Amino acid sequence: MKTLFADRSFAALIALCAVAAIVIALSGGTSMLSPYMVNAIGQLATFAILAVSLDLIWGYLGILSLGHGLFFAIGGYVAAMHLLKHSYEITGIVPDFMQFMGWQEFPLYWAGLSNAPYALLLALGVTAFVAFVFGYVSFRSKVGGVYFAIISQALVYVAMLLMFRNDTGFGGNNGMTGFSLVFGWPAGQPGTLVGMAVVSIIVLIAVLIGCRLLVTSRTGRMMVAARDDEVRLRSLGYGTLWLKLAIWCLSAVIAAIAGILYVPQVGIINPRVLSPELSLEIAVWVAVGGRGYLTGAVIGALAVNALKFWLSAAAPEVWPFILSGLVVLIVLVFPNGLLDLAGLKWKPRLLASLGGAK
Amino acid sequence: MFMIRPLILGWLFAMAFAAGASAQDLGRADLVARLCGNAAATGDAGSRILAGAGQPDAAELPWMETVISALLDRRLKCAADPAQSVVEGDGAVRSAVTLEPASVPDLSKVPVLNLRSRAILELAQSALRLRIGATPTIRRQALAALGRKAASVPVEVFEQAAAGESDAGLKAEIESTAQISALNSPDISKRISAVERLASTPNRRVQTQIAALQADPAYTSDETFRLTVDAALARVGQGILIGDVLSTLYNGLSFASILFMAAIGLSVIFGLMGVINLAQGELIMIGAYVTWLTQEALKSIAPGIADYYLLIAVVPAFLVTAGIGVLLEAAILRHLYKRPLMSLLATWAISLFLINLVRVTFGTQNLQFLTPFYITGGVPVVGDFIVTWNRLFAIAFAAITLALTWLVVNRTGLGLNIRAVTQNRDMAGCIGIPTRKIDMMAFGLGSGLAGLAGLSLSPIYNVNPQMGGNFIIDSFMVVVLGGVGTIGGTLVAALGVGQINVLIEPLWGAVAAKVIVLFLIIAFLQWRPEGLFTAKGRRR
Amino acid sequence: MSGGTALVIDGLEVEFGRFRAVDRLSLAIDYGEVRALIGPNGAGKSTVLNVVAGVTPAKAGRIVLDDTDLTGLSEAQIARKGVRRKFQKPSVFEVLTVRENIELGLAIPAAKAPPGRIEDVLAMVNLGDLADRLAGTLAHGQKQWLEIGMVLASDPKILMLDEPVAGLTDEERQRTAALIRALRRPDRAIVVVEHDMGFVEEIADKVTVMHEGRTLFEGPMSRVRQDARVVEVYLGR
Repeated sequence: MKTLFADRSFAALIALCAVAAIVIALSGGTSMLSPYMVNAIGQLATFAILAVSLDLIWGYLGILSLGHGLFFAIGGYVAAMHLLKHSYEITGIVPDFMQFMGWQEFPLYWAGLSNAPYALLLALGVTAFVAFVFGYVSFRSKVGGVYFAIISQALVYVAMLLMFRNDTGFGGNNGMTGFSLVFGWPAGQPGTLVGMAVVSIIVLIAVLIGCRLLVTSRTGRMMVAARDDEVRLRSLGYGTLWLKLAIWCLSAVIAAIAGILYVPQVGIINPRVLSPELSLEIAVWVAVGGRGYLTGAVIGALAVNALKFWLSAAAPEVWPFILSGLVVLIVLVFPNGLLDLAGLKWKPRLLASLGGAK
Repeated sequence: MFMIRPLILGWLFAMAFAAGASAQDLGRADLVARLCGNAAATGDAGSRILAGAGQPDAAELPWMETVISALLDRRLKCAADPAQSVVEGDGAVRSAVTLEPASVPDLSKVPVLNLRSRAILELAQSALRLRIGATPTIRRQALAALGRKAASVPVEVFEQAAAGESDAGLKAEIESTAQISALNSPDISKRISAVERLASTPNRRVQTQIAALQADPAYTSDETFRLTVDAALARVGQGILIGDVLSTLYNGLSFASILFMAAIGLSVIFGLMGVINLAQGELIMIGAYVTWLTQEALKSIAPGIADYYLLIAVVPAFLVTAGIGVLLEAAILRHLYKRPLMSLLATWAISLFLINLVRVTFGTQNLQFLTPFYITGGVPVVGDFIVTWNRLFAIAFAAITLALTWLVVNRTGLGLNIRAVTQNRDMAGCIGIPTRKIDMMAFGLGSGLAGLAGLSLSPIYNVNPQMGGNFIIDSFMVVVLGGVGTIGGTLVAALGVGQINVLIEPLWGAVAAKVIVLFLIIAFLQWRPEGLFTAKGRRR
Repeated sequence: MSGGTALVIDGLEVEFGRFRAVDRLSLAIDYGEVRALIGPNGAGKSTVLNVVAGVTPAKAGRIVLDDTDLTGLSEAQIARKGVRRKFQKPSVFEVLTVRENIELGLAIPAAKAPPGRIEDVLAMVNLGDLADRLAGTLAHGQKQWLEIGMVLASDPKILMLDEPVAGLTDEERQRTAALIRALRRPDRAIVVVEHDMGFVEEIADKVTVMHEGRTLFEGPMSRVRQDARVVEVYLGR
């Protein structure tokens, strides 16, 4: 526990999250904190989890995935399927997409999804499986760097094309929406929103602590070593394939958890979460916050999305220009993201680790 | 002009000899009487005129055409006496028999046509127009109308029309349609030779027509005829198959050309600086927009040469995109070449910026391009395979680009420097090659090539601010597959990806094609992680 | 284990595209010896080390350590058989401390290593005082030693050093020579690729001169300078 909270900014972030969770639990949905705000905070927490998942492999292992939206979407889609199936069994409401396709029955692969533990297992299992297969074939043949980034982007793009088809049984173009129940609670009610937001923040805290333990362990040192000089590490007798594969799958699973928490809060999922742009934006969050630094990933996700929430409403035309300008600024002037901007005096070791990140 | 003289002569001729001079078994008055009669009589008159349209002597045809057109347009006013009947039109009233000025009779009626007689009359009208139509356009339209029912038009109509036709292209078309007509000639030997001649130009239309003969009584009664038809069907089927294969390859080739153009710039830049330019698709889009702007500028400045915008835009499309590339390299990417993943983010930001800049400036709708004559239509080769000029333009354009790029890279000082820096940046710097300047120029070259890709695809694909995204993933795949910075690898990979796409698309759809291409490439990388054409060198 | 042949390279061929970097090379290196691999640039010296370490695949030929065939094994597998290699360019993990670098060199969790092993290695390479410094903050010579320490930590049977004194001062060079001499043990073979003939003379028992991917000469250092072919290759052009 001592090393875990040795870094003061990390401890502060955990404390802040805990306070946020308690405040929402106590006063969420009241006049102090509107349900809309609670919902927004809950969604931001899931984005933060997503950013941490990418930081784990990009910041600490040097592998940039431009397809992390795929794992987020797998979690989200399975969650949506569970919600629809469960709502159907309780209320008898037939999902829109099935009415649209003229289907009377759920496709075969929807079987059992009304059972939440099974759905959770399925979401994480499918994610781990996809990540494992893709990671294995890539890392085995030493595909990395820009190649890996581009192929992962192609993967998410192809998945998007597949999901846009209406005959796949996943809602097609319109996606899936109209959940009447969220894990047994009435959707959209303040209580439900508060519950989801609190759960999301608690999961964020758990993910942060877990990742922190990981990156400060011997495995964490091996990750950094593999990031900075993989050939050297291999020549010392370490097989990097399984190290990379394990962290890659872990990262994918965390992204899927973010997706599972995200969908019940926004109440919809459609193929647009699979667009390459979204996956690139995740990388932007991490770059803005500072790679190789878990606190940075969370701050980046919060900062960019807060800006986006605000600007999308205030000046939607301007947002893309702001975003592109922001990226160029970060990349050219503040390569370590907000850490540079804040000019904070982190431990020299951290600064060096950031400078070494590719 | 050339058809006006016979028209006038014919008209004079008709004037001189009046009704009785017709070569037909009926006089003008008689015909008018029938046309004014009940539906059956009208149809009968139509059939006679259709038969008469094949007579060698064209003298009476203009009159027939005038009367029939008038009837079809409800401008023929019938009186009890055919000689009293009149034709209205062009602000004048003329006698239906002599075409002399006349006045509308007191008791006149407009004949009622039923569907059958109208069809016959329209066919007769087209037959007449094919022979005496004043312009090739009119005659071509008439031929198209006849072509749909060629089997019920006497073959003589086509033979005479072909004999009198001065437009060589149209003449060939008439002759080919005549074959279809001859299929139903009463003379069995004529039918057989028609089947054989038709089978020499196999396509789906011919296949349908010959296949229809299997239901003809002659098919069962006449063995020679049956054998001829069967042999012809086999031959046509084979021709169509070859045509389909060629047509798939051709489409694949044209898609590959676009892919190659999109990927070659990407590949040069990647090989040189390890930077994947995510804005390459947007440079393609800018190239297409510059092409459009060139077209618009020509329209207002020099409308006479506006059709040549595709050729004229080569220079601005290249220069504008190359300029943008040089600017980007100098302002942003130069600072990132040792951080390839960051340059990925930076170029993505640039692409986002360019898309939205174009969207705000021009709107999101597709641009409208002129279709110049030199990319209109095509040449039918075999079966249903048509070498369309617009695709051939893209292919030829890519071939020229390939040749020029190869020359630049392999035969110029710049190319030598690019290759040197690609292979060993530090050493190239040591021997005095200005690596920074080379980076900039190579980035300009790569970007300019993307602009040219945008030009060459503008006649085929939709041009709008989002278009870049359609090509970029495929082009990446080409670069990954082909290996870094090799023109040959890019070419082979583009051909491969292009062909696989068009081969799979008709079978399982476009999405499946993309999925399969991606999985093939991932599988391929298991075998050769460095791509097709990369020589391995020292690591450290 | 002492005496006897440690590493056998048999009929090795390596090609890069059409360029033949190593051409039917055969070598035998004994336990207890320090073998220097010298030759002009492009002679294939570093390539040989790369092949032995499993970085570069061989087109033909075999690499045998004791009785184990290393050919076709991965880098990590070869390393775990007891082969360690120091790169030409010092490659230490700059964001880790000196101690953590040595710890990674153990290839097993520090708890399972012999007690005091890390301290011993740190002392051996003269970095005991700098153990908690980030490796990135070390001077060039210190990085060279740290890297030697990393490859030493696991007590390898074969130690391959690629230009260990490149870019070092005279004093650092002397200390490195002393270090390598101290590393010589009956159950270890040391292979050094080096340009600096003076340094080679100080440390090597035996010298293999490579030229255009082949062995030009093999024998004790004292005879190298008298060999006509070696003189021609080094001086004659």
